[in-house]
Amino acid sequence: MKSHNIERISALADGELKGLSRWLTQRHVRHCPQCADEFARIERVRETLAACPPVVEMSDSADFFWSKVRREIAAREQETISIPMPRLSFADWLQVNRGILATVTSALVVVAGSIVMLQQPTRSGAVMVERVDTVIPNTVATPLKGAESDVAVIWVSGLEWTPDLDQMQECFDNIET
Amino acid sequence: MIMRWIATLSLSLLLALPARAANVQARLIRASNESGKSDTSLSDLQVKLKEKFGYKFYQQLGAQQQPLKTGTKLQLDLGQNFQVFVTPKSSDKHEQSLELEWYYGKTLLVRSVVKIVENGHLLVKGPEVGNDWIVLAVSVRN
Repeated sequence: MKSHNIERISALADGELKGLSRWLTQRHVRHCPQCADEFARIERVRETLAACPPVVEMSDSADFFWSKVRREIAAREQETISIPMPRLSFADWLQVNRGILATVTSALVVVAGSIVMLQQPTRSGAVMVERVDTVIPNTVATPLKGAESDVAVIWVSGLEWTPDLDQMQECFDNIET
Repeated sequence: MIMRWIATLSLSLLLALPARAANVQARLIRASNESGKSDTSLSDLQVKLKEKFGYKFYQQLGAQQQPLKTGTKLQLDLGQNFQVFVTPKSSDKHEQSLELEWYYGKTLLVRSVVKIVENGHLLVKGPEVGNDWIVLAVSVRN
């Protein structure tokens, strides 16, 4: 070993070197005062660290600490946690809630159908003659009731007979009303 | 896809709703047993006319139709010197209350207040001409 290799000396102090590498390094340290000082310094640091091991300070004993952890878990077990959900578009919502969509559509169809049905003409009402009269003397106007509800008949009897339409004018002009 | 389907359904429903405006129609008819005096324009009334008056043939002498407006007196000139005056008194969804006056020239033949349902008919048997009868048919249509 011709040069002063600090890493090798540190490895020797840590017991990492084996065989020929260890023998050569030990031999160098015995004959080189500079490296011998370095080796001695490292050994002192190791001894100092071994004499003062790091101590972790805890306010509680280990058992008491774990009992506190278990109590905390038990206390928070019943808590509901709100998990943020991604925002859905209306199309996504429709995909998810197909049942609701089908129900609403069916209800719309039923309501619209009912409206159309209500607006259709009904046969429940009847044609009804509430009042009828004539001012021509010796003439009677009579409402006739039939079985059909969509037809009403008024029968005017006693009107002047005429042989044809051309003579009606003269005939009816002479009627005093 | 779903939105398109809903839009189509809504449009179909809107189009299915009928537009409505009531009209009164008066027709002057000659009832006869002489062949040849039949009229295809009375095809919707033929059965009812035969049932009510018994004649074999019915000829339309004149007809007029006007939209109804409550309180407004309408004059329907049917030709052959016959006229009908119609005054709508009231109306609801399916029924019209009408005051009718049937004139020949200046002579009032008959006046009446009737309630007519949609597609219902009022038939008035009027003067006799030869072997025939003159009949007035009044109906309300939308």
